[in-house]
This record gives sequence, C-alpha cells and structure tokens, in this order.
Amino acid sequence: MKKKGILSDIIVYTLLSVAALFTLFPLLMALMNSFKSNQELLINVMSWPTELHLENYVRTFDKMHYTRSFLNTVILSGLSVSLMIFFSALAGWRLCRTKTRLSRFLLKLFIFSMLIPFSSIMIPLYRVAQIMKITNSVVSLSFVYAGLGVSMAIFLYHGFVKSVPVELEEAAAIDGCSSLQGFFKIVFPMLKPITATITITNVLWIWNDFLLPLIMISDNKKYTLLLSTNTLFGQYSSDWTAILSALILAALPVIVFYAFFQKRILKGISDGAVKG
Amino acid sequence: MKNARKRNLSLLLYCLPALIVYLAFKLFPAISGMYYSLTNWNGLNKSYEFVGPSNFLELLTDDYFWDSMWFTFKYVIVSVIIANVAALTLAVAIESCRRAKGLFRTLFYMPNMISMVIGGYMWMFIFTKVLYYLADNWGWSFLDHSWIGDPNYSFIAIIIVAAWGAVGYLMIIYMAALQGVPANLKEAAAIDGANAWQNFWKIIFPLISHAITICVFWSLNSGFQVFDVIYTLTGGGPGRATQSVAINIYQEAFRGNIRYGYATAKSTVLFFIVLIVTAIQLKLTGRKEQEL
Repeated sequence: MKKKGILSDIIVYTLLSVAALFTLFPLLMALMNSFKSNQELLINVMSWPTELHLENYVRTFDKMHYTRSFLNTVILSGLSVSLMIFFSALAGWRLCRTKTRLSRFLLKLFIFSMLIPFSSIMIPLYRVAQIMKITNSVVSLSFVYAGLGVSMAIFLYHGFVKSVPVELEEAAAIDGCSSLQGFFKIVFPMLKPITATITITNVLWIWNDFLLPLIMISDNKKYTLLLSTNTLFGQYSSDWTAILSALILAALPVIVFYAFFQKRILKGISDGAVKG
Repeated sequence: MKNARKRNLSLLLYCLPALIVYLAFKLFPAISGMYYSLTNWNGLNKSYEFVGPSNFLELLTDDYFWDSMWFTFKYVIVSVIIANVAALTLAVAIESCRRAKGLFRTLFYMPNMISMVIGGYMWMFIFTKVLYYLADNWGWSFLDHSWIGDPNYSFIAIIIVAAWGAVGYLMIIYMAALQGVPANLKEAAAIDGANAWQNFWKIIFPLISHAITICVFWSLNSGFQVFDVIYTLTGGGPGRATQSVAINIYQEAFRGNIRYGYATAKSTVLFFIVLIVTAIQLKLTGRKEQEL
C-alpha cells in the first residue's frame, strides 16, 4: 500500500514538473535572451547571458514610449472597471429589489446579449464610435468597455443582492436615508465580495484585450501597452533582443500584480467563472 | 397602481447609466450589424443601398470564408479537447499532491495573466529561433520543422500556444469543482474496493460534470472567436492556411478592400453558428449532467 503511494507520487510530481517547465519555458527563454547582445543571441539561445545588456531595456523603454503606454493602459482599465462597477451595481441592485414586469424585462434585455460574440459586433461598434467621433480616445473607450461589460456585471450583482437582507435598507429608509444614500452607505459596502470578483476579472480582461484597442486607436499617443508592443514587433521584426525586452516590459506589470494578489485573483477567477 | 409606476420610474433612473452604454455599444451595434449585412456599405461612401440577401448569397460561394470556417471548426474541436483534458489532468494531479499544491496552481495560471499577444510573440521566438537551435545543436531533429511556414505545423503551433494560454483558467475551475467533491464519498468507494481509476470515473467525474459544462462552454465560445494567437503567430498564413473566421472578418473590414456590408454578413453567420453550437453543447452536457 505504501509503496504504491510513493510510485503514484513520483508519477504525479514528474507530470507536474514537466508541465511547469512547459508553462514557464517561453517566459524564461524570453527573459534570458532579452539580456544578450544580438550576436550572442544568434550564436546560442540556450546559454546564460555572458553579460547583462541592460541597454536593450533602455532602448525599448524609449521606443515603445513605455511610461505613456503604461499610463494609458492604467487609465483605460481603471476607468472602464469603475464605470462598469458603478453602473451595474446600481442597476443590478435596483433590478433585484423591484419586482415588476419592467424589471423582469430589463434584466432579460441586459443578459440576453451575453451570448453575442465580440467579432459579430466589432464592425458596427467601430461605426458607432466613428459617428460619435470617439475613436482615438482612451476615456471614451472606457465607456465602450463599460457597455460591453455591464451585462455580466449586472447578472452577478443581481444574483448577489438576493442574498443581502432587505431589512437594513428599510431601516435606513426609515431613518431618513434617501434611497441613493442608502445604496452607497449600506448596500454597496455589503456587495464587496462580488465587487472584488467583478473588478479582478474585468481589469484582467481589459488590460489584456487587444482587438478592440487595435480597431479603435490609431494615434500612437493613445496606444496601450499591447498596441505599442505590437508596433515594436512590426518595426524590429528580426531584432530579437529589442522584441524580447519589450515583451518582458509589457508582461511585467501583470506579473507583479499577480505576485502580490495571486490568492485573491485566483479566487476571483474561479468565483466569476462558476457564477457566470 | 400609482405606486408601481413610481417604482418603475425610479428603477429606470437607476438603470439609466448602464442602459445607455449598453444600448450604444452593445445592443445597437448588434442590431445595426444585422441591418448592414443587407447593404452594400463600404465604409468610405456616405451612401449605401439596401441589397437584400445578396451578401449572404455571395457568401455561400466564398471559398475563402468557408476555408476559414473549416479551419475554425478544426481549431475549436482540437483545442477544446486538448485544453480541457490537460486542464482536468493537471487539476486532478495537483489535488492529489501533498505538497506544493499552491505553487503549481500559481505557476500554471501564470500564462492567463499575460495577454495572448505577448504570449504569442514569446512563442514566436521559441518556434523561429529556439526549436531550430535545439534541432541543430542538441540533435533533437524531431523539432526541425518550419513551425510557422508550413501549414500543418503552424496549426500545431497555434494549438500549442492556445492550450498554453487557456489551460490555467480551465484548471482553476476544475480544481474548485474537485474540492467540492465530498471526501467521504471517495473514501467509501475506496473501502468498497474501487481503484483510483474507477474512483475517478464513477464517483468524481459525475460530480464535477457541472464544471465540465462550464469549461467546454467557455472554450467553445472563445475558440470560435480566436484572434490574438493567430494574429501574432501566423497572421493567418502561410497564405490563408491558418485564417480563422475572426481574422477573416477583421481583414475584410479593416485591411485591403474595405467591405463593411459584406463583412457584417460574415459576422452575422458567425453569430448564428456560435449560437447553434453552444446551444447544442449545453443541451447535450445538460442532459448528461441530469443522467449522472
């Protein structure tokens, strides 16, 4: 019995180690080779760098306008998710608390479109943005993301509010709280767990989204990190040290974010997936 | 009665901000897309005409489109199976670990944190530089292929990268489901003489069927829309060999000859195909779930 346990342990850990190596392989190769000179990289991609060519990073940091692209991405993700949270918490809460034909209709209206694939609406969406003259604007793009994300967020809030006792709100109303005050002081703080889930899943989605900014933003001053990385890749197609250092720089913020919040992120992801 | 109207009015006020962005950027584009698909709008001319179903008729004989549709189906079938089998295997393996559970979980999820654009370009380096090096210098000649240039191998390359990017997410969902399986059930089966294999298929598998439904649904949905991986790795090439429907629509609308009307007809077809396929999947796995 015990022998069998050891054998299965060996199999399990071997399998997991091979999978871990496979998972990390592209990241490690990119990191290791990003510090080499181009000649060294061409001679041997599997060796450790003989000296650290930090100038690769300095050069791409400039070339991809890192600070600007980074800030654009922060503003885009932060504003999109704030709008999404604010809009859908209000709507989801009220939709749950009001039981009329209209509320049932609105809820259905909001969630039925969750099935529409983004590729199906991207062209008319671009058209809408053109007519409203909001292409090439990070702030306006945040409203677009909010529009694309509210369905899921309202669905999640609506489900969560059901488990929040209504008595507290009624008590607040008796104490003279207006309904909006009651929402911000009493209800919204209680929605914190689901707000965290919605924030995490959507920040990651928007931070890593490529196609929508690719369509909407052509002015390189408004580029997100991914758009500048993509442009750099086009310009330096054979200069791998430049590309790899750019990739590491572009991946760095999410890796740091992950290192700090991994428990919460993993919980948010699994909660978001199972409830959705 | 008056009360109900007042409640509805306040409901509308609270929903208004969400409703506005939702209508403007999701619902209206979805509906107007269907309308544009019946026009010859090319994005440049201000005016366009209603042309009825002629875009759809043209689509029927558009080999490029159906090639991309066929490629997408192939991609979806292979990637859904590989990603889910790998994710479930990893989840079961990690759950059976005594040590380093958290470490493996954290590691395997890492690719999901990084955009597939970055991941795709990193893999591009592996496929165009590293594998050749290994083949030439380490004698690993089985790696000596044109991974990006040869259609057969570029399909494999795309599947590898897509699985690399999706497995962590699916694994997290499977792990959550596995943790929900009561330990005493597994123990009872083991006492009754079930081996690990039987235990998995007879006890655990039925109890996590809900997670399988979710994961297959998610990977089907994202599979049909695959864009980033292909855009970064092959750009749809060589030729059009790895062109997915999303890439095909993107190129029709934003590259070369711009034909928005025709491209929206393609989008509409894609929408209905995704709808039908996921509806069938939910029905099938839903029925399985009830049987089990």
